[in-house]
Amino acid sequence: MIRILILARLVWLEMIRRKDVYVLLILLAAFLVTLMALNLFGLGQAVSYLKEIGLLLAWVCSWILAVSVSTRQLPQEERQGTIFTLLAKPVSRVEVLLGKWLGAWFVVGAATLVFYVLLVLMVALRGGGFGGVVLAQAWLLHLGLLAIITALGIAFSTRLHADAASALTYVVTLAAWLVLPRVPDLALTARGAVQTGLMVIYYALPHLELFDMRRRLVYGWPPAPGAAVLLTLVYGLLMTAVFLTLGWLAYRNKRFTRGAML
Amino acid sequence: MSNAIDIQDLVVEFPGARGGAVRALQGLSLSVAQGQVYGFLGPNGAGKTTTMHVLLGFIEATAGVARLFDEDVRHTIARRRIGYLPEHPDTYRFLTGRELLLMAGRLFGLSRTALYARTTELLALVDLETAADRRMATYSRGMLQRIGLAQALVNDPDLVILDEPASGFDPLGRIRIREIIATLRERGKTVFFSSHELSEVERVCDRVGILAAGRLVAEGRVADLVKAGEPAVAGEPAVAGEPAIAGESLEQYFIRVVA
Repeated sequence: MIRILILARLVWLEMIRRKDVYVLLILLAAFLVTLMALNLFGLGQAVSYLKEIGLLLAWVCSWILAVSVSTRQLPQEERQGTIFTLLAKPVSRVEVLLGKWLGAWFVVGAATLVFYVLLVLMVALRGGGFGGVVLAQAWLLHLGLLAIITALGIAFSTRLHADAASALTYVVTLAAWLVLPRVPDLALTARGAVQTGLMVIYYALPHLELFDMRRRLVYGWPPAPGAAVLLTLVYGLLMTAVFLTLGWLAYRNKRFTRGAML
Repeated sequence: MSNAIDIQDLVVEFPGARGGAVRALQGLSLSVAQGQVYGFLGPNGAGKTTTMHVLLGFIEATAGVARLFDEDVRHTIARRRIGYLPEHPDTYRFLTGRELLLMAGRLFGLSRTALYARTTELLALVDLETAADRRMATYSRGMLQRIGLAQALVNDPDLVILDEPASGFDPLGRIRIREIIATLRERGKTVFFSSHELSEVERVCDRVGILAAGRLVAEGRVADLVKAGEPAVAGEPAVAGEPAIAGESLEQYFIRVVA
């Protein structure tokens, strides 16, 4: 476990020193400040409008960050050749995989927390607010979602270059987000193998929509039942474990190319 | 006492063009006794790095057995007693040299107190005390090679595997490497290294093995390879492979056997 934490800390240090997170934070702050200043279409005074746009931005920024951070970890180790000095130590490949995932998840989770804090401050400035319990639930579920996305990114990057892994993760997560909830409707109109195939896809891909509590936050609805939140988090953990296991299966016997000259 | 390295009938195949396979190693067998400095020579593409990668568990052999101190190289535990410097060492450039050594030591499970003392000692060994707290992004190639060597020694390994250790060094740096290897030998450590600098090999190695096209074509004590007729140490073969010619240098011998 200690080696996994050491590797996770490495991801954290890299992110801080490469200043990627700062760029995203500045972008988010700029968006929010612009929203407050412009009073677009006369909606600037509506707190719910600010909440909706702010939450959307927080989701988009954390999504981009999760994909870009997770998919570059393993290919970067290989490209730089640092994977060789790492694996020459008593570190197993599964520890490398878990360390990178944990580091990426932690970085993105921390950045998301900052996004939320920033949004709460902006909304408070307009005299609005969020329910504390709903906000905590939303952030927890957001963390669950990010665990799945980072695990998926890590899994793809075990066999693909960073750019390809990143593109594939964007496509899969976007499809899971937008298309998957509509698959049962499509399955109703299909027959036989197509119908079975659609339902297999429906159950195999992660249901990211389950982690979305933005509406509750925007419209001030009461908190979700604790059991439902807990079950969703367990589902997130399960999907994360599935993707990390698939990643490990692909990574455990991988032959690294850099430096492996005959 | 077990050998530091034991390789038997090692075969490594890589996927080739049109579904075929390229044989990088073709039944390689060699042993390195503990406390020896062993030079692993061969032209580019002979299979030196592949052999090292099998020993380090990066590549799984197609056939054959490789062991480090009697442990199968596929097990993580086999790597507890070894240090490795790759041919083109690159590192986490956002870390400082000291941070890299601390991280490497922690991966070996060294205690914090022991690690701080060890880090200071290693930074002095590779002449990087003044640059220890600078980010490695500002290091020159030679400095990266030196910090790479330091991280390979952080766990005070019994076996040090060095892939072209002198390649990034200036002449003074090469002398320093030679001194470090000599110190390791005095302390009873085993050093297994590849190099194209045959004069360096001649100076520091006890034994050498010459690899060509994935096969060990010659092996023996350096003294036996360069001075034909000198009696071998009891129990050790003088020269396996092409017989040496009196007065021949290691370089001349090397060219003759790999040609």
